[in-house]
Amino acid sequence: MTDSERILTVLNLKTYFGTPEGIVRAVDDVSFHLDRGEVLALVGESGCGKSVTAHSILGLIKAPPAKVAGRIVFGGQDLIGLPEREYRQVRGKQISMIFQEPMSAFDPLYTVGQQLMEVAKAHMPWEESEARERIIDTLKSIHIPEPEKRYDEYPHEMSGGMLQRIMIAMALITSPDIIIADEPTTALDVTIQAQVLNLMQNLQSSYRGSIIFITHDLGTVAEIADRVHVMYAGKIVEKASVVELFDNPLHPYTSGLLTSRVRREYKGQDLPYIEGYVPRAYEFPEGCRFHPRCPKAMEKCKAARPPEFEPAPDHTVACWLFEEGEGR
Amino acid sequence: MKILSIRNLKKYFPIRSGVFLQVSGWVRALENVNMDISQGETIGIVGESGCGKSTLGRTMVKIYEPTVGSITYCDPSGEIHDVSRNIDRRVEPTFRKDVQMIFQNPFDSLDPRMTIRDTIREPLETHRLFASRKMMDERIAELLMKVGLYPEYAQRYPHEFSGGQRQRIAIARSISVNPRLLICDEPTSALDVSVQSQIINLLKDIQRDTNMSLIFISHNLDVVHHMSDRIMVMYLGNVVESAPATELFDHPAHPYTQALMSAIPSWNPKDRKLGQVKLEGEPPSPINPPTGCPFHPRCPHRLEICRRVKPEAAEVGEGHSSACHLHSV
Repeated sequence: MTDSERILTVLNLKTYFGTPEGIVRAVDDVSFHLDRGEVLALVGESGCGKSVTAHSILGLIKAPPAKVAGRIVFGGQDLIGLPEREYRQVRGKQISMIFQEPMSAFDPLYTVGQQLMEVAKAHMPWEESEARERIIDTLKSIHIPEPEKRYDEYPHEMSGGMLQRIMIAMALITSPDIIIADEPTTALDVTIQAQVLNLMQNLQSSYRGSIIFITHDLGTVAEIADRVHVMYAGKIVEKASVVELFDNPLHPYTSGLLTSRVRREYKGQDLPYIEGYVPRAYEFPEGCRFHPRCPKAMEKCKAARPPEFEPAPDHTVACWLFEEGEGR
Repeated sequence: MKILSIRNLKKYFPIRSGVFLQVSGWVRALENVNMDISQGETIGIVGESGCGKSTLGRTMVKIYEPTVGSITYCDPSGEIHDVSRNIDRRVEPTFRKDVQMIFQNPFDSLDPRMTIRDTIREPLETHRLFASRKMMDERIAELLMKVGLYPEYAQRYPHEFSGGQRQRIAIARSISVNPRLLICDEPTSALDVSVQSQIINLLKDIQRDTNMSLIFISHNLDVVHHMSDRIMVMYLGNVVESAPATELFDHPAHPYTQALMSAIPSWNPKDRKLGQVKLEGEPPSPINPPTGCPFHPRCPHRLEICRRVKPEAAEVGEGHSSACHLHSV
């Protein structure tokens, strides 16, 4: 695995919104990269900026009024500031997206076939009959029973799990380089979640695209990700490979998330938890944004924002505990 | 003492269609459910969406009328009343006070136009528990402190709070009238992971203090295991397995329970397991449930008989019953 090819680089991405309560720095100075064929998980709780990061990459943030700054380098060009017409060559074709709620992501007035066809027509040079064939092949490839029949059905005739698979098919039609999956299994039941994750993993090995997997659930991250970035209040606080992150979590927030798992051994005892609540986006604290909830907070954390430290190879953490000379 | 006993409970919802809204079919949400809940006990109800777990909770608080079957309620003096249909006028106030519910989504279950004080005061006023407004306000302050909020928050509105805080408010409202049974319908699934544990600890604390009974409905097996003394696993309106919590996890007997457990992520990237989950397909519709065992179309161990005959619950261990033909072969 030496020939890793970088297909996406995000540098100092900042996405700000003006609201009556003040400026919301939803994504604040976020940098990361994505290699071909890998699954990168962005993990964090509601309001941490993980979905806004995804929408920024896809150019779905309307700016102005919002402000998007930094660089998003894909295929040799910077996507920020790209004219809408050129963005359409990228969005949905080279980078596609799977949304959280399959029930609301489809238009109830059209059959799923029509909606799949719309994607094919917009991006691929196929004739209608060829497109239909290819769509049905794609449906077959992800094991949808009776694809010809499904093609002419409406979204309400299907279950959530089935629709989520059709959305995956929709994201696959154009053979994109990157699929951004925003909480693709959160709305699904556990047994269906297992099936969908399994499906995504198989796709991964067969077509060598990359996946940005956005979730709040570290359990699914352990199942599917290669690398993990943990986000909190608009910042990436820790980056590591999935094995490293679970074996050796460094940031107090990451450790907090990992210990928040309800383990069987805890029965009869109080569960460990992170004090306090996720701050609201227009009132992020000064300094390290996690410090009011952090059990290891120091004076320094209240005043200054921690930069990224790299205490172990390929494992970075934005926390003052890991400044040179500080013990763990 | 049993607070609530349920026998052969069925709940069917009519499907109406056509100009005259004739009943064209039934959604069989609950089929022959039996359960008893004693003082201080927690019963967990687990299953996937559409299995009837919320319908069961709502039927217990009498948001829904049961179609068939009986619900009996034992009041604090030990008298037993049938509350399946219309509740006796003399019993109703005690029943309504004794059986409270908290809902899944604290963004929907609090009235956005009412302050927190008004929200919590409403049940106190309805049940005329306090003689004066001052005493009521004192009780509200005490409740807010009990659920980990500041008494000053009483004059704020729900939108000023986060999801976890709102769920605390909903809990304060439900325990304000000192219920003996609290039905929690997915109380943590709309919350962030770091807040989920806070709410679970809070519910446990309150239960320790007041010895109330809990019905804890969730799709999350780990959370249900933590909360419950007994767990009932539901599938397509049927209770397929029922056992003490630890027993259920140590010796799951029904193939559906086993499948559910195998689908819990491992949280260990070196030992990924979802690829090995052997459960195919999706739950069938409760409008047209399969004949025989409701789980047979997806069951990896199905026998010929499963297609034809619905299995009865059978004892497979102490206090452990499971409805599966495999136990009788």
